[in-house]
Amino acid sequence: MSMIDVRTLRKNYGDRTVVDGISFDVAEGEIFGILGPNGAGKTTTVECIGGLRRPDGGSILVAGMDPAREGTAFREALGIQLQESRLPDKQTVAEALELYSSFYSHPRDWRELAERLGLTAQLRSYFGKLSGGQKQRLSVALALIGNPRVAILDELTTGLDPAARREVWGLLEDLRGTGVTLLLVSHFMEEAERLCDRVVVIDRGRIIAADTPEGLAAGVVADQRMSFVPSATVDPAFLQALPDVHTVSDSGDRTVVTGTDNVASAVIIALHERGIAATKLRVDQPSLDDAFVALTRDDSHGDRAANNQTESRTAEGVRA
Amino acid sequence: MSAATALIRSEAKLLARNPGVMLWTAILPVAAAIVLAAIPAVRHPSDALGGLSFFAIYQPILVLFAITMLAVQALPDVLTRYREMGVLKRLRTTPVSPALLLFAQLALTLSVSVGCMLVMVIVPALVGASWPQNVVGFGIGYLLTAWALLGLGMVIASLFRNAKVAAGFGTVLFFVLQFAAGLWLQRPLMPDWMRRISDLTPSGAGTQALTDAASGHWPQLLHLVVLAVWGAVMSVVAVRKFSWE
Repeated sequence: MSMIDVRTLRKNYGDRTVVDGISFDVAEGEIFGILGPNGAGKTTTVECIGGLRRPDGGSILVAGMDPAREGTAFREALGIQLQESRLPDKQTVAEALELYSSFYSHPRDWRELAERLGLTAQLRSYFGKLSGGQKQRLSVALALIGNPRVAILDELTTGLDPAARREVWGLLEDLRGTGVTLLLVSHFMEEAERLCDRVVVIDRGRIIAADTPEGLAAGVVADQRMSFVPSATVDPAFLQALPDVHTVSDSGDRTVVTGTDNVASAVIIALHERGIAATKLRVDQPSLDDAFVALTRDDSHGDRAANNQTESRTAEGVRA
Repeated sequence: MSAATALIRSEAKLLARNPGVMLWTAILPVAAAIVLAAIPAVRHPSDALGGLSFFAIYQPILVLFAITMLAVQALPDVLTRYREMGVLKRLRTTPVSPALLLFAQLALTLSVSVGCMLVMVIVPALVGASWPQNVVGFGIGYLLTAWALLGLGMVIASLFRNAKVAAGFGTVLFFVLQFAAGLWLQRPLMPDWMRRISDLTPSGAGTQALTDAASGHWPQLLHLVVLAVWGAVMSVVAVRKFSWE
């Protein structure tokens, strides 16, 4: 059964179409990512799903309920962690947790939740004195305190330092398998790669790709990129002449070569034949980051062919 | 504990931890009322003030001073900041309506201003000033004044998104309202045309209603109607215009 079912969602602000026919569905217990550059329409989409905005077209069902006719049952079923939402500076962690748990009919035990989120030591601290990571963890706690079936987390780790970010990710990994369906909004590929079962990429109000994170990374025809420090001087023209090589450039004392999937072995063998070793070798797999950049760049250049390709893949991915 | 009780308790706790605004609001008029009442000469009727004593003129003005400051400065300041911080939006995502938070803030503001008013009535009476002669009239006048001014504060919180702009507007409005109440030129000394304008303001009508009730009369119908119209109109505007984000 799908927990979130969005069909041809549309939303305009004035004459500007912000969400332009977005469709996807999320299964129960799944961690689903909505990715996209800033201003792509991600937040508007989840605010429609959360019943905070009224869509101009299309339909949304969350746990079988229509958010536009939101009632208490809907608010009990859904927890939302909003982007940049603060609490009063002089409210303590325990007070906030206790207060918000009083709003729900079957709240989680807030002490246990605090412990799970590593906030036990901060229970008596004022919100204003918490670190960025602690504030975000509290925010996640408030989204989960009502024992929701679906939780929406918007730009969860934006503005956090890498340590705090990993802390929050660890927490979400713990939630996997507890039956909570998570909808994650991010413009941060590493986050999606690590947490999400499936993702959609949104750009300018439309879905431009939908797949698993690995499928998305693999699906983009991106060059393999390798770099190394040669043990002796290499003529770039010699490397350039190899069939698998697309570009050759220098970066400090490193030589950077891009090309097909075979480029790394082709270059190493060719160098070996000349008695040159490739030291400090590094080969980068195309990542979700590359996929994201390739997808959104294609789109902004209005490359029709690329658009059609990704859209046909979208259709497959979404209903798969 | 119900959500409403929990919210009021939590807001009261936050207020107690951040007493700055409320305290400064209350201290000046309360202290002034007590000091005035302690000076015997101030309690004697004066022909220049239409047969009232200086204290009888100033006590209602100081009562208005406190509630005006709380209603048009402190209240919009808290609410616009809650909106800016996303507290109201976050409440929308829960089964509880953010309207409950507005209600809690209104209830707290009203309680603090009633507290200030009681101190300004009781302490002067204990040091020798007179008690309000018509207690029921005084109470009715006070509650209608509170309705009008709190409504005005809610409208400020509705119209201004930026907390600093709202605070600036509240300050200017405070001085205008206090002028109408007669803080600088007492109402009996105002030229007729000015007093007629003052009659139509919530602070002018409120001051006169309290003055009349304190000296044993019933507040005039004009002033009660003016206060009720302000209260009703401001409430409707606030309900229509207030937004959570």
